[in-house]
Amino acid sequence: MKVMMNTGRTIRQGSLIEKKTSDSYADETSSCMMNPLDMLDLDVEAGDHVRAVKGDRSVVLSVVPDEEISLGAIFVPLGPYANFVINSDTHGTGMPDYKTTLVDLTPTDDPVPSVSELMSSYGGLWYE
Amino acid sequence: MSEIVKDALCPFCGCLCDDIVLEVEDNHIISVNNACTLGEHKFLESGGERALKGPMRREGSGWKPISYEEAIEETAEILLAADRPLLYGWSGTYTEAQGAGIMLAEDLGAIVDSTTSVCHGPSILAIQEVGHPGCTLGQVKNRADVVIYWGSNPQEGHPRHLSRYTTYCDGYFLDNAAHDRTVIVVDVRKSATATLADHFIQIKPGGDYAVLSAMRAILAGREDVIPSKVAGVTREELIKIVNICKNARFGSLFFGVGLTMSQGKYKNVRNAIEFVDDLNRSTKFTLTPMRGHYNVYGFNEVCTWMTGYPYAVDLSRGIAFYNPGETTAVDVLARKECDACLVIASDPGAHFPSASVGHLAEIPTVLIDPVPNLTTPLCRLQIPVAVTGVDVGGTAYRMDGVPLSMKKVIDRGYPTDEELINAIRKRVEEVKGI
Repeated sequence: MKVMMNTGRTIRQGSLIEKKTSDSYADETSSCMMNPLDMLDLDVEAGDHVRAVKGDRSVVLSVVPDEEISLGAIFVPLGPYANFVINSDTHGTGMPDYKTTLVDLTPTDDPVPSVSELMSSYGGLWYE
Repeated sequence: MSEIVKDALCPFCGCLCDDIVLEVEDNHIISVNNACTLGEHKFLESGGERALKGPMRREGSGWKPISYEEAIEETAEILLAADRPLLYGWSGTYTEAQGAGIMLAEDLGAIVDSTTSVCHGPSILAIQEVGHPGCTLGQVKNRADVVIYWGSNPQEGHPRHLSRYTTYCDGYFLDNAAHDRTVIVVDVRKSATATLADHFIQIKPGGDYAVLSAMRAILAGREDVIPSKVAGVTREELIKIVNICKNARFGSLFFGVGLTMSQGKYKNVRNAIEFVDDLNRSTKFTLTPMRGHYNVYGFNEVCTWMTGYPYAVDLSRGIAFYNPGETTAVDVLARKECDACLVIASDPGAHFPSASVGHLAEIPTVLIDPVPNLTTPLCRLQIPVAVTGVDVGGTAYRMDGVPLSMKKVIDRGYPTDEELINAIRKRVEEVKGI
């Protein structure tokens, strides 16, 4: 299913910005909020995992039903999971497409990676 | 015995709330009053137990503690050895430190950019094209009878904005402000703020420019050219909203990154400014970007005073060169153009797209921040500092451009951003013989 990915602040994400290495932050920023009717189409339930793919990059997210999200759209709290698939092209403005990235969404049994796994995939070294 | 500190400023969002009451005991903040959830967490957790005790260097598969002297020396060496250093961040510190940073960039011939480029950079581009019909938040509080939040969700991003400046606060020129103000929310989803609005307009993603153009056409008396629906919004809804705006005694449009990050970017903001401009032919209407970091506005002020441009300034030519899209941090990193980076008071590891994050991990990156964040794994060196508004005072600019003085509340013994940047700058100047 092709969906328009929107990212942004949530109160929980904002309250955890001093604790970005915590499990709570990972839980919040790996949430894929989507309309329950789209969940029916995709045959997924709350807590199931989906893979968001953009070009040659993909990330696994956890489904959270939200009736206020439009059909054909998902909302992912801003952070390392959404950014893992967002393109760096800014169209000459300096601003990436944080609000309007079209991704392919498919159900998956793969686990949601930890934030440390995401950062290590860039060549980073995790600090606890 | 505890001490009460009144009228402290909150170092979180652009509201820069100045009525925070803190209870301090044994050099710790033990309670926070008047702040929102975001501010409360910031005061209680920033620089607390999670703060680094001192600088650390990545060595092989581990992190080794080093002294501040070593950290300053190594940072200067990294920046001096680079052909194209990038100094990025700055929005989470005070203007005096930002000024020191611009001087360091000038010494190095570096590119200096702030988080502006990934929040309201496009708003500044639009303002440079067509101006800014702005006002202070005090004017909004006391006069506005129509308030629009467009592509902005203050209930989650700026939680006290509605109670301090718009929906729920008293206004000098309004008899019953909470009742008399009409609040309109325009967004692609029914956000927490949209549930509080008198009118909610839900538009399709990327439809902002078309909706603003339709509203301007209605305002110009050309309802006849509007199709039955524009980006998911009916013509009748658009006419109703335009009429509310036209009949306002004083209207205020607040817009968020929903406009600046969607397709169209600065052209969306330009259209919003011109809509407000059109409205000012028949009433008073103003426009204010909902700035995110508490002092991102301050960086734009300082950078403009010192270089002539508000962000994304390349000083490598010996003069200031400004070309967002080329000299902005996301682009410079994605092109793999810079060969060293100093990150301060921000976290690009969490907030930049993957290609830009990947390059941060490839080059020597130095992070100046009190706590480990998601740039920490990417950096070679992290240097902890005092938390602005807690361990050190200084000037910060509210989202409406009003400068306010932040308080020092406690002192946990860390150097300030300004002291650290000046120490690095001193070393750079010694080596370069400046």
